[in-house]
Amino acid sequence: MNLWKQPFLWATLLVILVFALIPIVTGSAALREDWLLILLYLVLASSINIIMGYTGYVSFGHIVYFGIGGYVAFFLIQQAGMHLVFATLIGGLVAVLIAVLIGMPVLRLRGAYFALATIGINEAMRNFVANFEPFGGSVGMFFNYEVYTAYGGAKDALWLAYYGMVVVALAVVATSFFVKKSKFGLGLMAIREDQDVAQVLGIDPARHKVTAYAISAFFPALAGALFFFKNGVIEPGPAFLLHRSIEGLVMVMLGGYGTVLGPIVGAFVYERLRSFLITNPTFSSFHLFIAGLLLLLIVLFVTAGVVGWLRQKSPTLRRVLE
Amino acid sequence: MSNKIPRLLWLAALFVLAVVVVACAPAEPTKAPTVAKKIVIGFTASQTGKLNVESKKQIQGLELWKDHVVKAGGIKLKDGTVLTPEFKFYDDESSTDRVQALYTKLINDDKVDFLISPYSSGSAKAAAVVSEQYGKIMITAGAADDATMEQGFKNTYQTYTPASRYLTGAIDLLAKFDPAAKKIAIVHEKDSFSTSVAKAADPYAKSKGYNVVLLEGYDSGTTDFAPFINKIIAAAPDAIIGGGHFADGTTFAKQLYEKKVTAKVVALLVAPPEPKFTEIGDAAQNIVGPSQWEPLATFSEDAAKKAGFAWYGLSAADFTKDYKAKYNEEPSYHSAGGYVAALILQKAIEDAGSTKPDQVRAALDKMDLLTFYGRVKFSTEAKTHGKQVAHDMVYMQWQKDASGKLVKQMVWPLEAKTADWQPRK
Repeated sequence: MNLWKQPFLWATLLVILVFALIPIVTGSAALREDWLLILLYLVLASSINIIMGYTGYVSFGHIVYFGIGGYVAFFLIQQAGMHLVFATLIGGLVAVLIAVLIGMPVLRLRGAYFALATIGINEAMRNFVANFEPFGGSVGMFFNYEVYTAYGGAKDALWLAYYGMVVVALAVVATSFFVKKSKFGLGLMAIREDQDVAQVLGIDPARHKVTAYAISAFFPALAGALFFFKNGVIEPGPAFLLHRSIEGLVMVMLGGYGTVLGPIVGAFVYERLRSFLITNPTFSSFHLFIAGLLLLLIVLFVTAGVVGWLRQKSPTLRRVLE
Repeated sequence: MSNKIPRLLWLAALFVLAVVVVACAPAEPTKAPTVAKKIVIGFTASQTGKLNVESKKQIQGLELWKDHVVKAGGIKLKDGTVLTPEFKFYDDESSTDRVQALYTKLINDDKVDFLISPYSSGSAKAAAVVSEQYGKIMITAGAADDATMEQGFKNTYQTYTPASRYLTGAIDLLAKFDPAAKKIAIVHEKDSFSTSVAKAADPYAKSKGYNVVLLEGYDSGTTDFAPFINKIIAAAPDAIIGGGHFADGTTFAKQLYEKKVTAKVVALLVAPPEPKFTEIGDAAQNIVGPSQWEPLATFSEDAAKKAGFAWYGLSAADFTKDYKAKYNEEPSYHSAGGYVAALILQKAIEDAGSTKPDQVRAALDKMDLLTFYGRVKFSTEAKTHGKQVAHDMVYMQWQKDASGKLVKQMVWPLEAKTADWQPRK
């Protein structure tokens, strides 16, 4: 694949980068916070899309890797005084290792059984961490405010977390694109359509699925590490919050599953909508109701998601939008 | 001619004297020009999610404070400035997820002057990371975790008695009224606040000679306490202490009653002081609750004078009366906590004569006063700066009156009691 002849990829990365630069150029911390949440959800949704959209495995408990990455990195920064960058990468690698170990048996399950198993894994991990004293048990861990002085103070540390999230977001989009365009990605899509037929065609389903699962675990773990570093506190409940997983699935469905652009659009629309409803004086009291209603309508009437719908409507867009 | 000169001299002298007298006369007190300004206080509230009962009360307390200040014509400074308070708040959905984004928005976009913390220790910690970096003064309400306030914060001040002192009084109460008691079971929610309380209560009970027969945590959101209750029944403790927040605490008390657990003392966090706790009926009877404040509390201006503290604000009776009139329900300690967080800020601004953070911070550091909520004083040690050091818990118990209606009584400390403690049957 010639990298330079991939206008969709470059255009997408450029648009994300331009938007991500707005808070940096304007120096607006409020915009930074808004964009950090959008990028966080982008990472989560794009990662879920790799296992769900390309491979056809609905991972309800995918947030487990967000929590693992967060906990490992937090522990390394707090206990070993490790720098954020290294701690984040180690958090990601530990998540990949756990994903491979869990994926090998669990990915043998199909459909609802796999979905249920992923919920179980998340709950089991949350309970394990809540009882694992080195990770602070049920109280979790928190940074002494002084931790941030190593990064030039809390203000600079929060900007550093943002830069990190921008890099991770760009990386996950690029990875999602390359997976989709690769032979490996075609194998995943063949498994999604019919695993038995794919196997007859010479695809090794187990190896493909575990690899896809490991890739999809890596990026949420990096995002978790950055997010909880910024938060200054990590607790089992918020780290392994099942409904954040479900929000990720909704974003994939909203944007269009199985596409590169879909999770990006889904994350942006969903997060902007939620943020608007929460901070709007008129809607703030029933923001969850409105968000739920809108999502219900979209899922009922735009089943392919926004990007899927656009691709269905126009052959030109089908060629352009990945 | 010779007569004219002295006369002129006399006239000149009189003129000079008059000028001097006028010049030296005390100037008529000039009234400082009144300048009206807005003061915006920002916070997030858990309007949805598992903490909404407690948080709603806190907001109601804050709103009542605002009504009182507006009715009194605003916060009046010595230089004639009158500050009218306004609130800016958002729903944090009982989660730390958006807390930092919303506090950053409050500071940067909404340009709030001061902050009140979110409800819960975890969220307050996350908010403090943002408020501290902007040097914004934040009064925490509903955040009692000790560790939160042991980070060397410079702009964060705690209203509540820290978690480590929440249940120690219940153990003292047991020792006083049932000297034969030996066994205590501690069953608590596995969250930051409740675990801190349990971790402090466990060594305290042991230091008093009790045998802690059970020390277990349950997950947040637990609705079935049967496994814990079975263990409690097996251990047959004299007292059960613990709990967590409103929803789980209420369910726990109800299931203890349904399973006929007969411990003499059941003291649970957060839930019992809430008037809604009585919705579980007879299961609420004789349950003890540690409380930051109760409507029956007897802190008064006279008591302040006797103890040598400054008194500030309204009386507990007035607070309760006005709260009931506005919301048609009894205030809880969460309501009082919300009110007093803003009251503390008001007093500091008045003492500072300014809204400049440095001056308000200095006023907060010096503060040592008695309010309807109790005594308020903050640590000025570098490591624990802003931690509450003077406020004490009180303990209430739901008891049945002559007509069989559940009423709240203060049972501990003895000097604040309105009725004798009653053992659970």
